[in-house]
Amino acid sequence: MSQTLTRREWLAASAGTALLGGCGAERPIVPSIVSIVRAPVYDQRIYETVRQMLQEHRLEVRGRRVVLKPNLVEFEPGSSINTHPLLVHAAFEAFRGMGAASVRIAEGPGHRRNTFDLADAAGYFKTVPRFEDVFVDLNLDDVTRVRPASQFSRLGPLYLPNTALGADLLVSMPKMKTHHWVGATLAMKNLFGLVPGGIYGWPKNPLHWAGIHESIADLHAAFPRQFAIVDGIVGMEGNGPIQGTPKPVGVLVSGRDPVAVDATCCRIMRIEPGRIVYLRLASGGESNLTERNIRQIGESPSAVATPFELIPEFQSLRMENR
Amino acid sequence: MAIEILADRQNRDGGWPYVRGSSWTEPTVYAVLASLAAGEMEPARRGLRWILATGRRDGGWPPQAGVDQSTWVTALVALLPPEHLGASAHARAIAWLLGTVGRESTVTYRLREWLLGNPRLPEEEFPGWPWIPNAAAWVGPTSLAVLALEKEYRRRPLPAIRERIDSGRRFLQTRMCREGGWNHGSVRALGYESLPYPETTGMALAALRGVHSPGTERSLAVARRFLGECRSADALNWLRLGLLAHGQLPVGYCHPVAIENRTIPDASLGLLVAEAEKGRVLFLA
Repeated sequence: MSQTLTRREWLAASAGTALLGGCGAERPIVPSIVSIVRAPVYDQRIYETVRQMLQEHRLEVRGRRVVLKPNLVEFEPGSSINTHPLLVHAAFEAFRGMGAASVRIAEGPGHRRNTFDLADAAGYFKTVPRFEDVFVDLNLDDVTRVRPASQFSRLGPLYLPNTALGADLLVSMPKMKTHHWVGATLAMKNLFGLVPGGIYGWPKNPLHWAGIHESIADLHAAFPRQFAIVDGIVGMEGNGPIQGTPKPVGVLVSGRDPVAVDATCCRIMRIEPGRIVYLRLASGGESNLTERNIRQIGESPSAVATPFELIPEFQSLRMENR
Repeated sequence: MAIEILADRQNRDGGWPYVRGSSWTEPTVYAVLASLAAGEMEPARRGLRWILATGRRDGGWPPQAGVDQSTWVTALVALLPPEHLGASAHARAIAWLLGTVGRESTVTYRLREWLLGNPRLPEEEFPGWPWIPNAAAWVGPTSLAVLALEKEYRRRPLPAIRERIDSGRRFLQTRMCREGGWNHGSVRALGYESLPYPETTGMALAALRGVHSPGTERSLAVARRFLGECRSADALNWLRLGLLAHGQLPVGYCHPVAIENRTIPDASLGLLVAEAEKGRVLFLA
């Protein structure tokens, strides 16, 4: 007796086959969409660029609480350490335009305690109207103790800020930088700024003892509703994330899957993503690190790639050293 | 921010927030000290009641009510006068400080490193204080702990207190940046020199009152440079305290009016520093 599969049955069977066959790194998965958009300089054009970029991702934020998490590190306005305030304001306006119920900017710097002064020096007060009203210092926010969905480190339950935990969409907005402990600091490493310094100190040293890579993967697991916009207009190479040198790349990289976004950024920086330990941990054996499982929109990584200078300890991360 | 505004920001529970919202231990201690210095006894009493209510069984204090962990803020509580806080609570805070060291100074850690054949680093020779137990010691919490113990030593000159003050100061001296001044912790990372920060430089200098050395002189020069270029009220407060502790605050120095006090600790510490400049050293003595 012949049997005809309905389309629904066929899809279910295909999914089952994909799951059963999926133990290796090559298994096909639903591709993560990552966009690479050219943005040569920080100027007024960035507002339209960001608006269009977010539209392409079809994010549904109407009536939702959106929290933008930039990377604020140091008091050096002329440097490329901090996420540029114009980009953050462009995202702020874009999400408001998309109907978000609230858009907050929130950060908990890991080195400097005086967050408002740091934001002022980085140009946020000048760029974002009524900045103090929309900004939350995550180091000093009210907290709830939570256990991340997956635990790679020995941290156990963590106190995390209620503003971030309550977000319907947490938007990680890091700078594209090298990092002298983990190789590269991008959307996932930026989540260190969610850990409240008010509880854990400056720097957030318990995360170091528990393993930096493992803690990054824990934090990624604790926040399942994320989006990432990486500031790669001017990044940082060499001894990042603070003492490196500016690296103009002229791109914004974005997507819903921070692992795929970070992997794409690594390719742009000519770093092999599979050699970044936290990316391997967070990808959990899935193949969303591999290029063929990431659907790039806009530019391709190879079209905008530019090798970032790496300190000697991280030369082995270079894609050319495969 | 005048003392009246400070009183306006006091929460109904008696504590103070950093800016707005829930009460935290750090702003509450600073605001209580500022209120006491200004003779505002009723807000100070309410703040002290909040502090007493949030103390933990292990003798320490959490950063915020409801957090199940004693941390570095215990050093701030120990800076409160025992006659106001209560002798027993104050003694418990001092005992907690005396029993707390950075993880790298614990017997377990040192034994593990010895078994692994790792040499002890010069900067790990002297125990300092961590932000939170079971983590490494850092310049900020070590400076505050030294300040609190120094104050206590004047009341109770016990050898155990002297020993921790001395080792804490040695800790700070080994963490001094090459050019002078202090970063948060290590003087270098992966071979790259750490650069000094204004606020940690001021804190460490305050804790090193009476310590004369070429390094202290270099750090005082760094602090004077920061004083002229720094744009943070918190950092300026600590720089002023650090320079005052060494009698090096430039004569006629005026706090720039354009620099805003953005938090309760900024405002409170500003009031305490102004008192110190007039010779009323409630905070340091």
